[in-house]
Amino acid sequence: MSEDKKRLLIVEDDVILQKALQDFLTSEGFETFVASDGEAGINTAKEKIPDLVLLDIILPKKDGYEVLAELKQDEKTKQIPIILLTNLGSLNDVEKAIELGATTYLVKSDYKLAEVAKKIKETLKMI
Amino acid sequence: MFVNDLDVKKQAEYLGVSLWRTPSMLFILMGTIIIIVMLLVYYLFKNYNSPEALIMSEVVIVIVLMSIGNFIIRNVEEMAKINKMKSEFISIASHQLKTPLSEINWEIELLLSRNMEGLNQKQLEIVNNVSDSSNKMTRLVSDLLDVTRIDQGRFFLEMEGVNIAEAIKEVVENNQFLAKNKNIEIKLNFPENLPAVLADKKKIMIVIDNLLSNAIKYMKESGSVEIKTQKEGDGVVVSVKDNGMGIPKYQQDKVFQKFFRSDNSGRYQTTGTGLGLYIAKNIIEQSGGKIWFESEENEGSTFYFSLAKSAV
Repeated sequence: MSEDKKRLLIVEDDVILQKALQDFLTSEGFETFVASDGEAGINTAKEKIPDLVLLDIILPKKDGYEVLAELKQDEKTKQIPIILLTNLGSLNDVEKAIELGATTYLVKSDYKLAEVAKKIKETLKMI
Repeated sequence: MFVNDLDVKKQAEYLGVSLWRTPSMLFILMGTIIIIVMLLVYYLFKNYNSPEALIMSEVVIVIVLMSIGNFIIRNVEEMAKINKMKSEFISIASHQLKTPLSEINWEIELLLSRNMEGLNQKQLEIVNNVSDSSNKMTRLVSDLLDVTRIDQGRFFLEMEGVNIAEAIKEVVENNQFLAKNKNIEIKLNFPENLPAVLADKKKIMIVIDNLLSNAIKYMKESGSVEIKTQKEGDGVVVSVKDNGMGIPKYQQDKVFQKFFRSDNSGRYQTTGTGLGLYIAKNIIEQSGGKIWFESEENEGSTFYFSLAKSAV
């Protein structure tokens, strides 16, 4: 697959997790952008229009639900698939996210980096 | 689990509440009052004929009964509140643990999958051991969180069509190391073209892992575990059979209870929380399936679960 690199936005406030995701996904052939809070996430998404957003829920400034709602309301960004990647995983959290338009919901501690990459590729129909 | 119902002191100790708040004491109190009231009514009816006296006595009885009722309800309420706080505490503590655990897991994965050049055999072995420990810890934290969610009715399953044979193979792969260490052979027995089942893949893998790792854990040195899948009716039945220590007859009705550990388990395996089968039962039942077992002490156990065929 030698087409253009798919572009991912990672919105994650934990520096170590952010770096790990970025390193791994870059090595998987993606181009990555990062944002460390909800507001920065929204701005970067609107500016870069990535192919997919990986979004944490507990974030400073604006939480993941607010980011999700805002991106799904904006004409420019509403078609971007959003994968929630968080350690919250109760029924209410998942329902709320899906209702707001998230494509999938992954619990960080249940997923290896390789599995996250696989989900991204599935969502982008790369595999 | 149940302390002698009438031993109030023991019950108070067991539940960690004061004597007056034990269910037995409340029961005795309530009973005593009912008996006194009945005697009183009998006495009043026998000796007084005036409606005023009867009405007065009824008012007194109602007031007394309502106060007692109120006292009992407030006690129950307080216990429910404490129970809720306990669940919330576990939930918050586990969440806080999950972030650093994810950091450790992902960093190790990054090291082992992308940056392992230059590590020698010994170093690799050490990193792999750290990785195993971290995975164990992650599982434990997830189990605790799952139990709190099950208890609060907030347990979530993401249902999809799952290739059960593939899920089983993946779990077997993860347990191969444990099995080889104990010289245990894992046999697989799958028929051709099994239908996909309706389940949450990650959670079903947890169920299979619980059954398989139990089978391995509670086996004496060497032996074999057989995992079989069969089409049955409108779905699939999976069985995990071992020739291990088995579960004593008198404890078999408690196997799926929270924190259950059989009396003979400590002889072979000291670790274990007693949460695995409780979680497994809840996952299977919430998926619309059934879970059951057959077991003979010193002969072995077979655990079964069924899942419905996926419509897709």
